[in-house]
Amino acid sequence: MPSYNSTHQPESVLAGASRRDRFAEWVDRHCGTFFIAPAVTLILIFAIFPTIYSLFFAVSRVRFTPDGLKFRFVGLRNFSKQFFGSAEVHFLGRTEPVHVIGMIIFALIVIAIVWWWFRSFKKATWVGMIGRTISAAMGIFLSWILCASLLSGNAIGTLYTTLFYVIVGCALQFIIGTGLAFLCSQPISGKNFFRVVFFIPLMITPLGIGYAMRMLADVSKGPIQPLLGVFGLGDWVWSVDAWSARFVMMIGDSWQWIPFIFICMLAALENIPRDHVEAAQVDGASSFQIFREITWPQIVPVAVTVLLIRMIEAFKIVDLPNIMTGGGPGSATESMTLNAMYIWRANDLGSSAAIAYLLLILTVVVCASFFNYVVLGRIRRPN
Amino acid sequence: MNDSGYRFDASRKTLAQRVFEAPSVGKMSPAAKLIAYTLLLTWTLIVLFPIYWVVITSFKDQAAVNQGPFYIPFVDFQPTLDAWRVQFTEDPNCNVASIARQFGLLAHNSVVFILSPIVTITPMEPQICKIYLAFTNSIVISVFATFLCVLVGSMAAYALARIQYQPKFGNIMMFVLLIVGVIVATSYYKIPWWVSSTIALVMFFFLVRSIGRFFKMKLGNGDILFWIISQRILPPIVVVIPIYVMFQAVRLLDTHIALILLYAVANMPIVVWLMHDFFANLPIELEESAQLDGATRLGIFREIVLPLTRPGLAATTMLILVLSWNEYLFAVFLATVKVQTMPIMVAAKNTGEKGIFWWEMSALIVVMIIPVIVMAILLTRFITKGVLSGAIKG
Amino acid sequence: MTGNSTKTSVKFENVEKSFGAVQVLKNFDLEVEPGEFIVLLGASGSGKTTALRILSGLETPTGGRVYIEGQDITDVLPKYRNISMVFQSYALYPHKTVAENIGFPLKVRKVSKDIMDSSILEAAKQVQLDGLLERFPKELSGGQRQRVALARAIIRRPSVFLMDEPLSNLDAKLRGHMRAELKHMQQSMGITTIYVTHDQIEAMTLAHRVAILEKGVLQQLATPAEIYNNPANLFVAQFIGSPPMNVVHGALDGSNFITQGVRIPTKVQGNIEKAVMGIRPEDCTVAPTSEGTLIGKIYTNELIGDHTLVTVDWGGDQISVKAPKDFTGMQGDDIGLVIPSDRLFVFDESTGNRVR
Repeated sequence: MPSYNSTHQPESVLAGASRRDRFAEWVDRHCGTFFIAPAVTLILIFAIFPTIYSLFFAVSRVRFTPDGLKFRFVGLRNFSKQFFGSAEVHFLGRTEPVHVIGMIIFALIVIAIVWWWFRSFKKATWVGMIGRTISAAMGIFLSWILCASLLSGNAIGTLYTTLFYVIVGCALQFIIGTGLAFLCSQPISGKNFFRVVFFIPLMITPLGIGYAMRMLADVSKGPIQPLLGVFGLGDWVWSVDAWSARFVMMIGDSWQWIPFIFICMLAALENIPRDHVEAAQVDGASSFQIFREITWPQIVPVAVTVLLIRMIEAFKIVDLPNIMTGGGPGSATESMTLNAMYIWRANDLGSSAAIAYLLLILTVVVCASFFNYVVLGRIRRPN
Repeated sequence: MNDSGYRFDASRKTLAQRVFEAPSVGKMSPAAKLIAYTLLLTWTLIVLFPIYWVVITSFKDQAAVNQGPFYIPFVDFQPTLDAWRVQFTEDPNCNVASIARQFGLLAHNSVVFILSPIVTITPMEPQICKIYLAFTNSIVISVFATFLCVLVGSMAAYALARIQYQPKFGNIMMFVLLIVGVIVATSYYKIPWWVSSTIALVMFFFLVRSIGRFFKMKLGNGDILFWIISQRILPPIVVVIPIYVMFQAVRLLDTHIALILLYAVANMPIVVWLMHDFFANLPIELEESAQLDGATRLGIFREIVLPLTRPGLAATTMLILVLSWNEYLFAVFLATVKVQTMPIMVAAKNTGEKGIFWWEMSALIVVMIIPVIVMAILLTRFITKGVLSGAIKG
Repeated sequence: MTGNSTKTSVKFENVEKSFGAVQVLKNFDLEVEPGEFIVLLGASGSGKTTALRILSGLETPTGGRVYIEGQDITDVLPKYRNISMVFQSYALYPHKTVAENIGFPLKVRKVSKDIMDSSILEAAKQVQLDGLLERFPKELSGGQRQRVALARAIIRRPSVFLMDEPLSNLDAKLRGHMRAELKHMQQSMGITTIYVTHDQIEAMTLAHRVAILEKGVLQQLATPAEIYNNPANLFVAQFIGSPPMNVVHGALDGSNFITQGVRIPTKVQGNIEKAVMGIRPEDCTVAPTSEGTLIGKIYTNELIGDHTLVTVDWGGDQISVKAPKDFTGMQGDDIGLVIPSDRLFVFDESTGNRVR
């Protein structure tokens, strides 16, 4: 056994403990504040303050003068212009005439929303009720625009172009991304190769993707030209038709973002405990039953979270339409961000800020509704 | 014979069973295998073909591009280096030494900025060709922005994960008001930023001591975390116009610092979100033990926490590096001439009257995306290990 | 013996701690003599670890004061308390070598390099780690990791040693060995030690005094022998001893304990409607049915080695008895049990208190 009697500890070791440097201790006690303050300050200066400042722009007519900007208060005119004034068709699309089918569908949607709103009276708190009221109002407004423009056979504006990018883009990317993730989670060889390759597009500069897609989609000199000839589409030009232009945009966007869904869903699939699947296999479940009963319920919480993240980013889309079509034909592929950018270039800072604000409101309401009613609901539900 | 028992004879499988049923657990049936590999290889093709096309286009000449699609170099068309040569010959200043000069210039200009409250020195004008300029600008901006973002973001994430933090609502409101005051004073009344921020800081400490105690409502760590992460919802177009005006007021428009700060803030929510997860998953005993041993919070963070989260830190850093490298919207507004980044420079090539020279454009795009592809391949290593998968668990 | 001058006393005074609505420590009073080895023993959730963490400064009590050497340290930061702690998981820094791990407390105190190096060597020698200083924790065995944690704790000669179940991650054989070493080390260094465990064998073998906690309340504070031979209440009686003390339900009538109609004479007096009799397995003996105080049926018997453990059915209770190893009763046989009245404890069933 060792002897502890020889233990000799230097005095300075003990002395260090009793020395109290008051300043150092004060710093240490308030370390939390010092750790968090830089981040909070930066966010306040470069995110919160500009958001508030932007409101000034949105309610003013702004002019550049030699000694700086001149603001003239115009009330909500910049906003009302988007709904009732000169920019109405550009923003909302053409809302007249309303077709009968559009009317009927609108009526059905309104009934459904109002019913949902009344039903939640019992269980929601008053804060929740305010949120639900805002969501319901936004839902009714959006469905009115949808029914009056798209469902009545009229052209849509930048509002619904943006929503088209968000909804169709998210759905397409989610389905393909999850499908690929599911394939990659199967017992196949070369998993790591597929993972690396499938991941790459997410990292590539969106601007580069814009140009690359423009080259690829070139109907006369691009690589798909012979293919079009085979299908008898030799003289078809996607960029002159509004819907085909939007769909080509979606292909570019999906090429970039499917990897994101793929990576997240693959991680979720591989996190499922092996023994759950094995237990089901022993119980004699088929592959499809295993997917529906075991796998799917366990990846739903991740799936909705991933969808939310993707949705938040999708609202910001700008590079791709800017590069591929410049917003054309007409303004068919203009997202709201791109719209605001063009108006800024035309030196109408007030309207630009107003559109940006409308985008902010749209994003926040849609994403917060999705978060509250879908993401939280899914996570709280026991699996 | 006992017929009640279930008997299985592998040799009696029907053809359909052989094709559609897995031979054993953990394997796939031949049919499923065929479908899976077909789909996966198709998608591999879809992913790689655009990249391939851009690369080969950069080796084409005008004729090879304009006369319709040619797919395979040396077979369909004769590759040339013309498009690449143009990038480095259009400007007489284009040579390797320019890179070194650009860094010296950056150092000089940073010193100028730091000293700007004290002495006035004119920043040096860059004198080099566009592609070097854009490339070095991109590197400098994304590296510094990433460093700032990861440092500040992970400090905040650590504080939120480990230190019980209950700021009073009133103090926060005061802080916000003072920052608004600083910004207004700086950009409107042209008071130098270091004067106004010092006054505000001093005022803040006095106000916290005096008024602060009358406020009772407190926030928790979760609230702050959610607030920071939710900043990602903010569309950049909302803030870019006011930021343009703010930077104009402090004469930071078209500087590296402006973009560095903006990129750092824009990506902060991602860093906080990912790093918070890594920090929260560290065994807390390590930090407690260090605390008992006499380490300060900063010491614990530097000595224990950061080394232990190194994989997560590396993955997050790479992700932010790529996001900063790719950023377009802020740069379009704020980097007009001197600090053009790669994406802005490539986009500017679009405005030729004779249409786009696709071969030159392709060469530029290749230059632009090579670093991110390298990053992507490095990043997958972390993703395979599951480093980044924790945060999305919901 | 060296180090007498550094022996330190510790005192908890009315310490309370609650997490939200859950009160994990109630009115906790404990005085530790200088140089004493105190074991806090309890099941998980008994508040023993919380008490330790309050002393270490990692938790702040909601009420009461804590003193080290008579000095109120309730609100002092952990680093000024001059205590060191060994965690259940050892809390070794995986990115630092053994030497760096051991030297960390000195490093953060900015001790000069020479002193640090010699101290590391000395501390490593004390726990027999000299050859392993350049290794990383993941290259060490469980016992070696344990030693690194110990070395890190002793290197700066703390006034108080705190140990939070330090042996529970080791396998059984190593645990016995480390236990002996820990005891030897504490004895020779003479540092006041507070040791938390749920293992009664560790508590009995290591401690000068054992403090048993249950649901945040101190049940008994006494020497191991006292706790075993003279439990303060039913909880302590049942918690200590392996196999645990037998419990028979019944009533106390004067100086007799009545169960299933059988009267067993006791040394205590009282009239309790619902009482519990406790008797340790080694204190009763098996006997032919004619001589037994009680007669029951054998439920099962297990040969342990040096004795046979016979379990006997007695109404709703089971009584275990240590019988000779050549005992040959069969399951279902009738058997008599002799219960000596001077080795028998009586408790009030409603309060759990000992009837004396």
